[in-house]
Amino acid sequence: MELQGEADIPAPLEEVWNALQDPDVLKECIDGCQEMSRSTTTDYVAKIRAHVGPVRANFSANIRMVDVVELSGYTLEVSATGGAAGFGKGVAHISLQEEESSTKLSYEVSGIVGGKLAQIGSRLINGVTNKMAAQFFEKFVDRWTANE
Amino acid sequence: MVDLTLRVNGKKHSLSVEDSSLLSETLRDQLNLTGTHIGCDTSQCGSCTIHMDRKAVKACTVLTAQAEGCEITTIEGIGEPGDLHPMQEAFREHHALQCGFCTPGMIMAAIGLVNESDELDGEQVRKGLDGNFCRCTGYHNIVKAVLDAKQRM
Amino acid sequence: MAEHTGIGASVKRKEDARFITGTGRYTDDINLPGQTYCAFVRSPHPRATIRSIDTSQAREMNGVVDVFVGADLAQDEIGDLPCGWLVKSKDGSDMIAPPHPPIATQSVNYVGEPYALVIGETPEAAKSGAEAVSADFELQTAVMDVATATQSEQIHESVPSNRSYDWELGDRDATDAAFEQAAHIAKIDIVNNRLIPNAIEPRAALGSFDPASESYTLYTTSQNPHLERLVLAAFVNVAPEAKLHVISPDVGGGFGSKIFVYAEETAVIWASARVGRPVKWTAERSESFLADAHGRDHVTHAELALSEEGEFLGLRVQTIANMGAYLSTFASSVPTYLYGTLMAGQYKTPAIHVEVQAVFTNTAPVDAYRGAGRPEATYVVERIVETAARELNMDPSELRRRNFIRPDEFPYETPVALTYDTGNYEASLDRALDLAGYSGFAARKAQSEAEGKRRGLGFSCYIEACGLAPSQVALSLGAGVGLFESAEVRVDVTGSVTVMTGAHSHGQGHETTFAQLVSDKLGIPFENVSVVHGDTRRSDYGLGTYGSRSIAVGGSAIATATDKIITKGKKIAAHMLQSEEENVSFDDGIFTIPDSNESLAFGEVAFSAYVPGNFPLDELEPGLSEKAFYDPANFTYPAGTHICEVEIDPQTGCTEIVSFVAVDDFGNVINPMIVEGQVHGGLAQGIGQALLEHGIYDSDGQLVTGSYMDYTMPRADDLPDFTVDTTVTPCTHNPLGVKGCGEAGAIGATAAVMNAMTDALGVKNLAMPANPETVWRAAQGG
Repeated sequence: MELQGEADIPAPLEEVWNALQDPDVLKECIDGCQEMSRSTTTDYVAKIRAHVGPVRANFSANIRMVDVVELSGYTLEVSATGGAAGFGKGVAHISLQEEESSTKLSYEVSGIVGGKLAQIGSRLINGVTNKMAAQFFEKFVDRWTANE
Repeated sequence: MVDLTLRVNGKKHSLSVEDSSLLSETLRDQLNLTGTHIGCDTSQCGSCTIHMDRKAVKACTVLTAQAEGCEITTIEGIGEPGDLHPMQEAFREHHALQCGFCTPGMIMAAIGLVNESDELDGEQVRKGLDGNFCRCTGYHNIVKAVLDAKQRM
Repeated sequence: MAEHTGIGASVKRKEDARFITGTGRYTDDINLPGQTYCAFVRSPHPRATIRSIDTSQAREMNGVVDVFVGADLAQDEIGDLPCGWLVKSKDGSDMIAPPHPPIATQSVNYVGEPYALVIGETPEAAKSGAEAVSADFELQTAVMDVATATQSEQIHESVPSNRSYDWELGDRDATDAAFEQAAHIAKIDIVNNRLIPNAIEPRAALGSFDPASESYTLYTTSQNPHLERLVLAAFVNVAPEAKLHVISPDVGGGFGSKIFVYAEETAVIWASARVGRPVKWTAERSESFLADAHGRDHVTHAELALSEEGEFLGLRVQTIANMGAYLSTFASSVPTYLYGTLMAGQYKTPAIHVEVQAVFTNTAPVDAYRGAGRPEATYVVERIVETAARELNMDPSELRRRNFIRPDEFPYETPVALTYDTGNYEASLDRALDLAGYSGFAARKAQSEAEGKRRGLGFSCYIEACGLAPSQVALSLGAGVGLFESAEVRVDVTGSVTVMTGAHSHGQGHETTFAQLVSDKLGIPFENVSVVHGDTRRSDYGLGTYGSRSIAVGGSAIATATDKIITKGKKIAAHMLQSEEENVSFDDGIFTIPDSNESLAFGEVAFSAYVPGNFPLDELEPGLSEKAFYDPANFTYPAGTHICEVEIDPQTGCTEIVSFVAVDDFGNVINPMIVEGQVHGGLAQGIGQALLEHGIYDSDGQLVTGSYMDYTMPRADDLPDFTVDTTVTPCTHNPLGVKGCGEAGAIGATAAVMNAMTDALGVKNLAMPANPETVWRAAQGG
């Protein structure tokens, strides 16, 4: 599983940086996210309900931020288990760049899935993750544009 | 749970089923009509093909609750030894079955295909039975049987 | 005149009456009072150490009856799943079989390996419970590539270099010497793709325990209920054989995958005693993909040495065979005694040397799948012969013909340990050339080319060794069981007959073929013979159905027992007619004293046997029921020629099989209709391997062809009408002159298709399956 992309967030860099690390914001923006909490300054735990084709599962995810460069970027290491549905593991590189009236966010994600997710859903997984990313940024951008 | 009445092979059955139960499961588990077989979990193999209002459908793609009000026919309802449906007769005549597991679904699909087609040649039979797997026969004799049954039906 | 129903007649099948009316009785159709349901918890990882398993949440759930892990089975001294054929390496050492607990205890070694089981009141409760079981795994690097497995991380503590054995057959020095004389050497590197058997009925098991008699009953989808019982009793330690009743009711296809003794039925039968209620498990298709034994999966390099005139001088074959994560029941025999021994094919190659390394990877176990070893061997031999013909610019049929063993050279001893009893390979080839319209091929090819298409024709002159035998030889080569078959022919008081056989029908039509055989021999109506199979309490013993052995071994046992009935009948008739046994002749159901008018119908003799008014009991026992255990003297050697003609659209990569001709020599044929059907089915699987099917694991060890969305099953419109015919050289060493027909299609077809594909595309090699993408790339020149 590989995906990459960019999003233009209509907000100042610092605001975007903080929102990206706010569990409540993340919970609101990740489709199917039931719980999101920060256990240490760099660790999050989440429960996410997702479906990939015919496979549905409740994932328990551990997310750790590493290589943090303040206001510039970081890497997320994600490990999620979905019981009988299988598991997912991946890393996401996030970088932020200040633009004239917005912030440019670039991401690069690579990961693997296993168990039933791979068996039945493997050829759907790129589509599903792309869609989840698009939904995330739609909602994330909405935080600033919806109120206007 | 849903309470409903199903009409199967001309008989009415009052049942209580889970909202999510599939027609294929209800036929087998509640009505003991085990001629409808389950060969996959992704609606590809066609072993569970039955008729709903004379149209061939895969029973695993239908929620039991959706089938209320329809006339359902399973393999048990089309003929019996001594009074076989022409398609059953043709399958036997042409050795169009071996292990017999895909056979009920294949026969129901083939009847549906013949009912819907004015003309039918070998290639059309092959395309028309695309949704039913047989691992034993290589389909050769199934095609012969369906073409023959078309003449008799 | 009554319809001919004897040997040689295409009698319609007895068993069809139930299958076409939906009244067949398959394992999943059977339910027992108080039954519970089992769901297995399967590893999502290809290789990991199990640190701990947490079943607490599952236990609390509604409808969950109990949860078990591997340690629970171990506590009851449930043993490992054994591999039944001991193969020895070149150096004389035994193969290494790593421990294979039915339910993983310390580690998991392929995706789908079960590590716990949940028993529930309903299937849903069991499945929900299984989702709630979690394990803490320590992940390890998976070994996925068969070619480099011996240099990869070691999977099992007991198996250095991940190698189970390093086996050889034939004379290396003689082969090396032959290559030194060669005017031409053809070389190929081929991969025999992994296949997933996919019988349409998923595996299932229903076990129950009777505490009063301490005995178990197991209904299961086995091709071989007696073997199931033997392994569960002798190796797995469930219970002594006398307390284990195994029934294989109607079974929806096997193709080899249902011979083996698997974790699931082992766990189910054990659990039925632990929970004190019947336990049922039916595989979902996704479980079948993960946990049925897969087939094929070889990587091979082969070289053929030829003289100037195209005479085969020597053949050298090196194969790495993927065993998967564990040795399945017969896995070790497949790439050795069912593979290396077939490398002579139909040819007089004087020197052959075969080397096979069997290696472990983190994939599902690989074992016999229709043809088992022989399709792989045929693929090697027939691909390299075709390659040599092209390199030497010779007609491929003529190169084959030049090297055929001739009819007057039988019995023929090959350099790879077999003695072929009989055959006429030219007869099959000539008939096939005729049916395929070979002389018109060049014109058809030109026509296709004019239309922008590519047309190709490929041959496969295969041979197979069937009816695995004899016991004495097999046992000396490491087999763990004898290879005979049993039969009982029980004449009823009124003259009807019940036949018990140890062979098992899961599509083959034994209830019809065996009844034809007995009715023909006894001269009684076909309708009056019933065949019983699939039940350890009804047949004496059996080795089941695999390796195209049912008619050659099982049928011969029935014929032998039937002969004993006739012998006993003559004794009774002699007594009734106050004559001597040697004066009585038997023909077409009538016992006669020649030169007299005295005769008795079979029914009269049968009746008298059970109403023995004045039998001399010290010389003549009442009753008319006989048994036979038939142990063959040799394998049987079906052989034939398959010719495939394809047309490829180079723009799309789509292939059409425009003609497929199979001419097979199965010896005598009891029911031609059934035999043709067996050939059709085999061809479909052979063509499926060539063009469609492939079991693929990704480099992380996940099975990505794990459903019918991704594993390409041959559908009706993928396949052509077949042209099939037979030639006959009767087997010389069994009473029926039969050879067996179940696997021939799958053995011969694959090479014929790929020879046609490479001919059409003008390439030396093409990977299987030759799906449109592969073909399109080749058509575009790489």
